[in-house]
Amino acid sequence: MASGAGEWSAEQIDNYETLISTTDVELLKRAWRNEKASPEILPFEEALVKRAKEQIQLMEETVDDFAESGHDPLIASLYQMDLDRAQFLLRSYLRVRLQKIEKFMFHIWKMDTYRNRLSIEEEKFTERCIRDIGKHLEETVLSKLPDNYQSVLKQSIISEEDDMVPEPQLDTFVVAKCERATRPLYLDGSRQSASFDSRQFAILTCL
Amino acid sequence: MANYYNIDDILAEEEFVPVVFHKAANGVIIDPSSETNSVEQGAKVELPLWLAQDLYLRQAISISVPACFNQRTRLEIQADAACVDLKSRSPYFYEFGCKIAPLVGDKTIEILLLSAFKIRYKEILTKAYTAAYTTASKFLTLLTKEESNLYEAAQVSMSAFKKWRMGGPRLQRASVLGRKRRSFE
Amino acid sequence: MHGRKAYELVKEFANGDKGHLKIFNNELFEQVIEECNEHHNALQSLIRKMQEEGLEVQTARNADHYGAFIHHLSLIRNKRCLMAYVHNRAEIIRELAWKVGLLHELPGEIQEKFSDLEEQYFKDHSKSLKSYMSQLSLDVNVDMVPPKDPYIKVRVLEDLGSGIILSDKSANFARHSMHFLKRTDAEQYIARGLMEELTG
Repeated sequence: MASGAGEWSAEQIDNYETLISTTDVELLKRAWRNEKASPEILPFEEALVKRAKEQIQLMEETVDDFAESGHDPLIASLYQMDLDRAQFLLRSYLRVRLQKIEKFMFHIWKMDTYRNRLSIEEEKFTERCIRDIGKHLEETVLSKLPDNYQSVLKQSIISEEDDMVPEPQLDTFVVAKCERATRPLYLDGSRQSASFDSRQFAILTCL
Repeated sequence: MANYYNIDDILAEEEFVPVVFHKAANGVIIDPSSETNSVEQGAKVELPLWLAQDLYLRQAISISVPACFNQRTRLEIQADAACVDLKSRSPYFYEFGCKIAPLVGDKTIEILLLSAFKIRYKEILTKAYTAAYTTASKFLTLLTKEESNLYEAAQVSMSAFKKWRMGGPRLQRASVLGRKRRSFE
Repeated sequence: MHGRKAYELVKEFANGDKGHLKIFNNELFEQVIEECNEHHNALQSLIRKMQEEGLEVQTARNADHYGAFIHHLSLIRNKRCLMAYVHNRAEIIRELAWKVGLLHELPGEIQEKFSDLEEQYFKDHSKSLKSYMSQLSLDVNVDMVPPKDPYIKVRVLEDLGSGIILSDKSANFARHSMHFLKRTDAEQYIARGLMEELTG
């Protein structure tokens, strides 16, 4: 680099970050971070997950080749570490989603907005979860209660809506990082506007 | 009810509130002073919040401010909020207060809760990061459920930070399995 | 007071160590169910009385109506407590399925805390998780902690013998023996308390 050892201009840093932020690992990291931080389930990153799986497989083959061909074990283990980190991201991303499904299955299932955010596998999983817990609650509690009180969704037949379904708490706080500077925003219906700089962190209500 | 299965919400609704019946009710034994199995109009009874709530909405009863939000508590909180034993007043002091305030139409409860929480929150975090367990344990007995959750959260994040700084084993026996069995040793 | 037993049931759950099960309290549980049926009987007899008096049950607001209403409220309160007890236990059971249940039997001291139906639920849910993973051909219940080194040093805590073959080696995993293993291989044995990670 022309500017010499370790001294990058702000522009160069920006360019570098833009470049880095478009790699699949970075995209996966962002999807994972968003999923972890948000109370409700987000749209499934289908194309990204597919690419990540393919790349991981490719990388596994590379590492195997290295091991077989007796290359420098240090390099092989560097590759392995990189691979491990990518795999952790992918697994953790999928895991966070499954755990949200386990928690809010009934809610996700009846709301089209959420249900459409699931992958095919997740949809099947949700269906099975509902079947399993439904059967369990039915046999342990509901079947022993009087007739009008046996629903798993309604407290009794008088209830007009499903008043037993746990929902994610959407009016909670989230920590957000600004991608680029914003114009003044009126948040929370407050009169005071706030504008955010690029890369600034803020704690906001989620809604 | 988004928190239908929430254990703390269920327990908070078991707190008792003083009520007056405006309508009589037959076939229920909830008035200990009554000799029959019914409640007279005008009867004064203590009911759990979950029952009072819906009877109030149906205009069968009126609710008065529960003892834990009385003048004495208010004065103590004004004097030194951090030292008040809120747990013995109600382990769900804040949640209970939030639920009861609209039912008794007392706006000052909200102010009381907020000012108490603000002061105590600071104190809890300071104690969680600095105090040794022996000095903190006495303080802990004063805390409501929500407050001790905060205290624990602060401690857990502190110890996670220390662990991260010191290094050490990252993989551990699953905590769901309970404490280590030492049967072989 | 109405709902007191149901409260005790929930309270018992709340007093337990976080994330750990106590024995399913069948006796108290059945008593609450019984109470539900008593409320229902009382409710129905009050409604019958109103019908006999020729009252419109939906709109009449007499003492019988309020009595019936109280029984109704007590019944749904009891239902909420029963459901919350089972539901929150089921959450812990699912966590067990994630951490230890997919590959192996649970230790006896945990299994004895389950009711029969809970044991079945544990199996059902483990199967659902497994089926998800096999559709995806990816295990999601490993790599629970962000990885640092591909290999870690472990000590075997309970005699595992030489029966286990790991992805890159087989060895005699006698108690107290030490090994240098792939992290992903060792993770599940550590989670189950059969090995421990050594550092430094």
